[in-house]
Parts: sequence; C-alpha cells; structure tokens
Amino acid sequence: MKLSRRQFIRNVSLAGGALTLGFHLTGCSDGPLVVGEPEDFRPNAFLRIDPEGAITLQIPKAEMGQGVVTGMVTLVAEELEVSPQRIDWEMAPVHSAFADPEMQLQITGGSASIRVFYDVLRQVGASARETLVAAAMQQSGLPRQSLEVSDGEVVASNGSYRATYAQLVPLASSLPVVEEVALKTADQFRWIGRYDERVDARVKSDGSARFGIDAAPPDALVAVLLRCPWFDGSVEGFEAEAARSMPGVVDIFATDYGVAVVAEGYWYARQAAAKVEVRFTGPEGELRDSEAISSAMQAALDADDFASIREDESSREAGGKLLRARYELPLLAHAPMEPLNATCRLRDGHCEIWVGSQAPDIARDAASRQLGIPRESVRVYNQYLGGGFGRRAAADNVAEVAAIAQHVQRPVQLVWSREDDIQHDHYRPPFAGELQARVHPDGVVSHWRHRLVGPSINQFMMPELAKAMLPQWVPGGARQLIGTVVASEDFASVEGADSLPYQFDGIHVEYHNLPIPVPLGYWRSVGHSHTAFVVESFVDELAHAAGEDPLAFRRRHLPEDSRERRVMEAVARAAGWGEAAPGRYQGLAVHASFQSYVAEVVEVSLQDGKPRIEHVYCAIDCGQVINPQIVKDQMEGGIAFALSAALSGEITLKGGAVQQSNFHDYGMLRHTDMPDVTVVLVDSDAPPTGVGEPGTPPAAPALANALFAATGQRQRRLPLQLG
Amino acid sequence: MSSVEFQLNGQPVAIEADPSMPLLWALRENLRMTGTKFGCGMGLCGACTVHVDGVATRSCTLPLQGVAGRSVTTIEGLDPEHPLFAAWVEHKVPQCGYCQSGQVMAAAALLAENPSPDRQQVRNALSGNLCRCGTYNRIQNAVLGAAEVGHWEPGAEEEQA
Repeated sequence: MKLSRRQFIRNVSLAGGALTLGFHLTGCSDGPLVVGEPEDFRPNAFLRIDPEGAITLQIPKAEMGQGVVTGMVTLVAEELEVSPQRIDWEMAPVHSAFADPEMQLQITGGSASIRVFYDVLRQVGASARETLVAAAMQQSGLPRQSLEVSDGEVVASNGSYRATYAQLVPLASSLPVVEEVALKTADQFRWIGRYDERVDARVKSDGSARFGIDAAPPDALVAVLLRCPWFDGSVEGFEAEAARSMPGVVDIFATDYGVAVVAEGYWYARQAAAKVEVRFTGPEGELRDSEAISSAMQAALDADDFASIREDESSREAGGKLLRARYELPLLAHAPMEPLNATCRLRDGHCEIWVGSQAPDIARDAASRQLGIPRESVRVYNQYLGGGFGRRAAADNVAEVAAIAQHVQRPVQLVWSREDDIQHDHYRPPFAGELQARVHPDGVVSHWRHRLVGPSINQFMMPELAKAMLPQWVPGGARQLIGTVVASEDFASVEGADSLPYQFDGIHVEYHNLPIPVPLGYWRSVGHSHTAFVVESFVDELAHAAGEDPLAFRRRHLPEDSRERRVMEAVARAAGWGEAAPGRYQGLAVHASFQSYVAEVVEVSLQDGKPRIEHVYCAIDCGQVINPQIVKDQMEGGIAFALSAALSGEITLKGGAVQQSNFHDYGMLRHTDMPDVTVVLVDSDAPPTGVGEPGTPPAAPALANALFAATGQRQRRLPLQLG
Repeated sequence: MSSVEFQLNGQPVAIEADPSMPLLWALRENLRMTGTKFGCGMGLCGACTVHVDGVATRSCTLPLQGVAGRSVTTIEGLDPEHPLFAAWVEHKVPQCGYCQSGQVMAAAALLAENPSPDRQQVRNALSGNLCRCGTYNRIQNAVLGAAEVGHWEPGAEEEQA
C-alpha cells in the first residue's frame, strides 16, 4: 500500500487540520467581507450586534434539515451569555472566512459541521462577550472581576453598574477585539446539551420558510431542460416547431446540457418541452445495463486484481471452518423532496444565483466557469435546502441555469422535474463484495478477507471540488490534475471496511475500481452506506457459524473499552436483547462513521409469513451532545433513509438510461411503514462528532440480521425482499 | 388563456392562465404563494396538498378549471393559531421542512373530519404524504397532541367551505 499517495488524497479532500478562527473582516483571498452596517459591533466575520442589540450570526454551513443552524446558534449563545432565541442568523455569503477549516471549502458534508466549528463558534461568542465587557470596564471603571455577564447584560457584582449589549455596542466597536479567551468547561454549560428547541421549526411548519425553489425574483422566467437519457450523449439536433408557438413559450435552444425550454411559467415550459423532439449522440461503450454492471462486478471478484487497503497478517495457519459469501448493492438516488432548481440573474457583467446548495463556493465556481467571469463577480444567495443527503454538493443545476440565463439574457429559474431528479442524479455507486473468514473451535476468527468491487466516487467528484478549491489563477489543466484521484486508493470506496473494529486474527481489505458511465456522488454516509451492510451482515453469519448469540459474539471480539462496545451494550439494554416477545425477532449491527459510534437493533414480526419492521432501537455516542432532540431527529431520519433504501431503493439502467422516474417506482418509507424508533444518547466526554450520517449505516444490516433471525434466510443483496 | 375565479383563503381571486394548468403553479407562480410545494407533479408525494372545499387535495394534478367557483385553502390560509402549528414546534417535527406544509394541510383536513383520531387513523390519512427526512413519528405525535388540545374554531375560510 502506498501510504503517501493515499495520504495525499485525504489531504486534497480534507486539506490539513488547521483551525482558522475567522477573526478577520478583511484581508482574505476573497477581499473584504461586507455584512451589516458601519455602526454595528463586528468582532469577527461571523457575528454582529447592532446598536439596538440585535445579534446576527452568519451560518457558514447549509441547513438541509440536520439542524446545523440551531446547533451553531447554540454554540455562540453559550459563550455570548444570551438565549439561543435571541440570536438571528443569515446564510453566510461565499467567502474564505467561512470555509470549512478541514476541507478548505464552504461545503456541508461528512457530518463535520459541529465537529469542526465547535471551538471556532464558541470562541466567536466568547471573544465578542469579552470585548463588550472591556467596554463595560472602561465605562464603569470597574475591574473584570467585579463584572458579571448574564442574559445579554454586563452587571457589577455589587449592583453599582448595569449595561445591555446594545448600550455597549458603540464603545465596543472602537476597542480592539479581545481574542485571548478561555472557553467554558462542560459543567458550566447552560445551553449546550440542554437546549432542545429548533430555531427553524415554526417557519418550516407554516410554509413561510424559503427554499431555493421559492427564492426566484418575481420577474424570472422558468426553464426546463431536456437532457440526454444516457449520461455521455449531447444534443445532435432538435425539432421545436410546434412547441415554439405554444402559450407562454419564450425561447427554445440547445445548451451543453440539453435543450432548454424557457417560458413564462413551469407549466408552460413543461407542456412545450413535451412537444420538442431531441436527437442525442450515443450511447456508446459498455456497461450500459444493470445486468452488465453486476456481471462485471462478479467477474472482478472472480479475478485477482485488487489493490491492498489493509493487510494485518494472521498468526495462524489455515484451519477452522471457512466461510465465504458475496454481497451486492445497487445504484441509489438521493431523491430529496425539493427537486433541484437554481435561479440566475445577469446584470452588468455580474451574476446572482439563488439556490439551496451544500457547497455555495462550488456553485459559485460553476457559474463563474460557465459564464467566463471572475468568481468575485458571482454572488450566491443560499437558501434552505429541501433535503440534501449529498445531492446538493454538486452544482450541475447552477452551471445549467447560468448557461440558460446567458442565452436568454433575462432572469431565469431552472426547475427540475422529479423525473429529471431520479434520472439525472449523482448516484450512490453499486458495489459487490466478497468476504471470507475462518471460525476456529477455540472461538478465534482468522483470515478475514474483504474484497470490494465498485466505482470510485472521488475519481468522479474530486476534479470538480479541486477546481472550486484552488485559486482561479491556477490553470484549468493543473486544477484538473490536482483533483485527479488514484481510484484504487479512494477512501470513499472502502471507508468502514478498512476500519473494521473487531479483533480478528488477520484482516485483509482489498479494492478493485470498476468505472461505470454514470455520475456518482456522496449519498448519506457515503462508503459506509454499503460497507456497513456487508461487514455487519457477515459478522452475523460468523456468529451463527460459531453457534454464538450475535451480541455475545461481537462482545467477545470488540475491545472491551471501545466505544463500539459501549453503544452496543446500550442498545442491547434498550432493546431487551434476547428477550423479544413471542413472534418478534431481533437483529443487531454496530458501526462507527464520521467519528461517531452507533449500534442499532431492528425488531421485526411475522404476519402470515410476511415480515414487518416493528421497532428500531438505536444508541449513539457522538461525544458532547449539543441539542439532544436534534441528535434523536437525525438518528430517526438516518434510520428511515436507510430502511427506505434497504426495502425498495434500486436504480437500474437499460441502454445507459435510468429506468425509474418518480416515487411510484423509486419509493421510500411512508407513514404506514415507519417503525417506532427509540434513541439512547450515550454519555461521553469526547468533543462533538457527526450525527447527520452515522445513524444510516447500521440500519440495513440490523434489518437483514433480524430477517435471518425470523426466517432463517440470509439475504445478501439489497434491496431486501420482505416475502 | 382565460380567467378562473374561485375563493382562496376566504378571498375571491381571478387568475388569468391556461385553465388546464395545475392549481399548484397558479398558486406558486401567478400568486407568488410559495408555501405549497412542488415535489413530484404526479400526486405521489403530497407536498402540494391544499384543501378544496375542505378536502385535502393534490394541487399538482388538479387543473385550475377544477376549482372554478370552489373554495381553496392553502397553508398560508390556515389559522396561525391552529393547534397543529404549535404542536409541530413542540414536537420538533421539521427537519428539512419541505414536505411539512403538505403534512400540516393533510393533518388539518383529518382533524376537521375526525377531531380525535388514533395513531393508525393518522398514519392512514397521511400515508400519501412522503417525508424523505423520516419525521413520520414526530408528525403523528404532533397530530395526536393537537387533537388533544381540541375544540379549536375552524378558520374563516373553512367555515365558508
């Protein structure tokens, strides 16, 4: 294994670990950041307090339902000594001050937001507070130790002085910002770990929350795009005679991305689009059908062409009972409830984009490259995201709308249909895996070998990310090169397999990259979404082969002090493992991802031989909890997302085109399918880690293991069959 | 193009548009009332749910001419004091929030017809309203919680319906 190479990839995607505090209003590569008014107190890029005392926080991450706004407001409120309810917030503009300190991009992903901003945002609050206190010291003539801060006021301990933040703003604005501040310890927290409201709950209940699709200026036209059904074709020609004279139609023309139909409204555009006939080039090449991809993956498992990811040699000769099994998982779509969309307005060489994006800087870069204008001439107004799940990290919708706006020279909103969304996603790649291991009479498991075959996401995505990350003066070719990933060493393909936590005697993990002509993307929990299913199903197989209870087996092979072990014990207690009611069957899985540890028990019943998911128990250790309700939310949501995929998620290709088109054939859990969910938060002193994704990986294997317990049938292919 | 007249949230409106255009787009684009959401365009997900004469209806497949002379209520027209809103906040229902106006409208229609449903009745009534974030259990808890509050007055527009 070429460690240095692999490390390089990680560095491109995670780019160092330096903590940038964002204590700067100017001097960044993006030039001055202008938010708020001159008379506001602006101690750093994130925070401002106006002379009336209104506090506004810039949110550097996308709100796609994961609760990041509430979490970030809570972190600042804690140190600023105000209620989270008192803090207003805005989606931050694209600016280097708001880049993720690890990824160097203003991207929301990897369940990283709270983890990487935990110290930063508390310092933002503490620094503002101490600067306000410095103003109070000057006003009152009192030393620091005579002053206390509480609920947005600075008060003398003896009652001789009292000032609100609003009253201190004018003076504080003229003082040097206090940057050396001590942060509270956990025992001093008033809001962190206790505040369990959601600051966006009301606007997301009464229809007033504004998503990208709601944000177009009133004079914007609406465009739809007729894309090539297969992924490598382009427009060869089109016939639009009948469509041009239809009501509301403004223009119909070819772009790099398909034929655009622009009209006075979505309905008119869609009606006209149905009358346009487009000829596309292609499809060419191989692996156009799901069956062919599956056969190629199986053939690769039969061959012996693998890159080694992990090689822990066994101390034993062969022996014991050899188990070997193959697993396979399909392509998956994200299908967020809000179809993709973006709005573009061009004026005087400047471009404005309204969009809900997980990566507004990638969106900015896409518009800038499409239009051939500098990044600084593009403004991105990020909105609420009607679901992201990884889909909205790509900016294909933004490049498309920029191309369309450039042609029509009017403000235009591009709206994808649900069919566009299902058929033109950046998909979770299909994967096949073969596992083998030896179970010995003395209880030892040896010669674990996990071979994975599937396409590399990062080989597809990284060039795009690199273009947005690197300065614009770096030539395009070099930016492309720097973003090139050695696919055999793509951590996104093997994460969760390479970090197997069990103390088996000899662990080999090997990967074979099998490129397919399909756009790939990050799907909630990324590599873990397939590796956890394979690993935790096979561990269950080993337990049964050893004649052992699956909990007892895992207990024996997980390190005693491991966090996996703690969450597993917690979920076993919550679920009453081994004591299921008659007719109920349980399955267990434990998996760490994004530095959080989750164990789940799925409980199924059999009704007339047909299994039904009754209850899912979940225990998570995500370090310091910020908002207990949101952690539970994310576990419930992550479980529902995984069960939807496990029960019905499958994208298939024929002739290079996706066969599914809408929710009737790419379904998800409904109200009537949703099991009860019980979530246990395991106490932890560790700093906070991710919650958006880690609930997803264990659910599918826990379900498969429960089905085995119920039926004796081992299902090794997703989606599972429920009789 | 022709003019279609109906009652919207208690007020008369006239919309100049293709009468076969779905009500959803008249609301969102002609009237700029964006609380009603586009999700699938085929009546499969419920994000576009409104009330037509008090009945929960998918506005993405309902032609504008189908509401001529009838009474339409959207999320914007639901009484701000409707207990469902408080319940949605109390139970921390929304994650991304995109489907929630449809969920609330479906729930409001249910409670208007059956003020004290049990959980299975809530599940059945809302089974056509999809949520990709998986907030179903919280939605059900919120509807049952709002039902317990009970005895609220219907909104003016509902009475007219």
